[in-house]
Amino acid sequence: MTAIVLRSAWQGLRSTGLMGGVAVATIATALFMLGAFALVVVNMEGLLDDFGRELQVTAYLEEGLAEDQAKELAHRVETVEGVEFVNHVGKDEALERFRAMAGGAALLEGLEGNPLPASLGIFLRPENRTPEGLAILQASLDGLPGIEELAHGQEWVDGYARLAALLRVVGYALGGVLSLATLLIVANTIRLGLYARRDEIDILELVGASRFFVRTPFLIEGFVQGALGGCVAAALLALAFGLLVPELRYGLAFFLGNAAPRFFDAGEIFRLVMGGAGLGLGGAALALVGGNS
Amino acid sequence: MTATFKAQDEDSPLRAPRASEAPVRMYGVSKSYLPGSWALKDVSLEVGRGEFVFLTGPSGAGKTTLLKLLFAAERPDTGQILVLGRNIARLGGGAVPALRRRVGVVFQDFKLLTRRTVEENVGVTLDVVGTPSREARSRVFNTLRQVGLHGRRNDLPVALSGGEQQRIAVARALVGEPDVLLADEPTGNLDAELSIEIIELMMAAADRGTTVIVATHDRSLLERYGRRVLRLEGGHIAETAGDSGA
Repeated sequence: MTAIVLRSAWQGLRSTGLMGGVAVATIATALFMLGAFALVVVNMEGLLDDFGRELQVTAYLEEGLAEDQAKELAHRVETVEGVEFVNHVGKDEALERFRAMAGGAALLEGLEGNPLPASLGIFLRPENRTPEGLAILQASLDGLPGIEELAHGQEWVDGYARLAALLRVVGYALGGVLSLATLLIVANTIRLGLYARRDEIDILELVGASRFFVRTPFLIEGFVQGALGGCVAAALLALAFGLLVPELRYGLAFFLGNAAPRFFDAGEIFRLVMGGAGLGLGGAALALVGGNS
Repeated sequence: MTATFKAQDEDSPLRAPRASEAPVRMYGVSKSYLPGSWALKDVSLEVGRGEFVFLTGPSGAGKTTLLKLLFAAERPDTGQILVLGRNIARLGGGAVPALRRRVGVVFQDFKLLTRRTVEENVGVTLDVVGTPSREARSRVFNTLRQVGLHGRRNDLPVALSGGEQQRIAVARALVGEPDVLLADEPTGNLDAELSIEIIELMMAAADRGTTVIVATHDRSLLERYGRRVLRLEGGHIAETAGDSGA
């Protein structure tokens, strides 16, 4: 029976003609818009991740702290909740970095000795790059012998956290609305196809087809049309990405800095195609329920 | 007229009616689509196994409604309908497909799958019951040979004449070897010669034991064959005439 249902679905797909093409094109268009939005979101998330990786808390060490004591302190700090890793910068390395940043030695002429302190660069895990995560770190380091001062860029962390939360909320909201709109468009397109084939459904029911036999080929068709729509959308997105990114490189550089805009990876493309298939399947199910077939 | 009887358990598998039971029985059946207006009123009838019956009457007399009741496309408002031992009035939605697999139906407008070949159109009756592909092809071929269309099996219906399209519809109805064959004005779109061809295909099915009810207002067909005629008028059985034997 399964083979017959699959054959029926194949016959349906083969004979669907223009309506099937319209359904695939509609799904592809809807998924193209959804995919374009998702592409913006993944690039912004990538940008935020890069930005977050650069966020660090600097603990300046007391003058005269021995190298081995500084290293032990670094190990202790690494055990604090939320800390990903700690980078120890000795006095000499700090001076070298300053020289490199200042662009030469002129500024340092006349200085006796090295006035720069040793420090620990403390990097938080992504989920702890929040005001709360920062507060935990601060409380843990407070009063720790060997630490002179903490510099943590509270306003930067706050801004990062707000931006990440905003992107998440806007992403979910817009993604949800777009997905719902896509589902309804797909359901309506498939329902139009069903109306066009109402006679076929009547005939199947007339000769004693079960609900399973009548409905399953339409669900399979919806799934296949959705997957095809997803493939077309992925191809169009790749084409648009390839054509537009070089044209917009200066504008994108303004937003993304040195980070190169990226296209979907293989897993994300698979999810887009399967998302299309799911929408096609859901749309067909919705159309069948609405059509009371 | 009313009748009380014990109908077969609706959830049991379809069984062939006992030889003494007529495959089609109606008792005091009424059906209304609008309040105060009856499409059928207190209709009772029996059609025996292998019997060929004409159902006639003017347009709007209730012929189509009566046939729709027999293949469970409509439910009666009152009365009892037994088709192959199943009580249509109490038939659950899930049991309708099982009934229809044993009741072939032919319409005036053929109702063919326009994008499927002749063979696929006829084969759909066997597909829905899961007949293995090889067996289905063989049975479709034999049925198409009976109706003289085996040479056109790979054509689309649109390439065939009206008479040939109706023969496809008859083949689709007969390929499952139904116990009952219902035809609603099957010759309404055909000329006299083709009409005779179609009616004789159905008569051959009756000769093989299928109960056949053909709705028509073509008097020439009624006169030509002298079979039993049920005349409907205003939703009532006005008269029965002709040979009532199978």
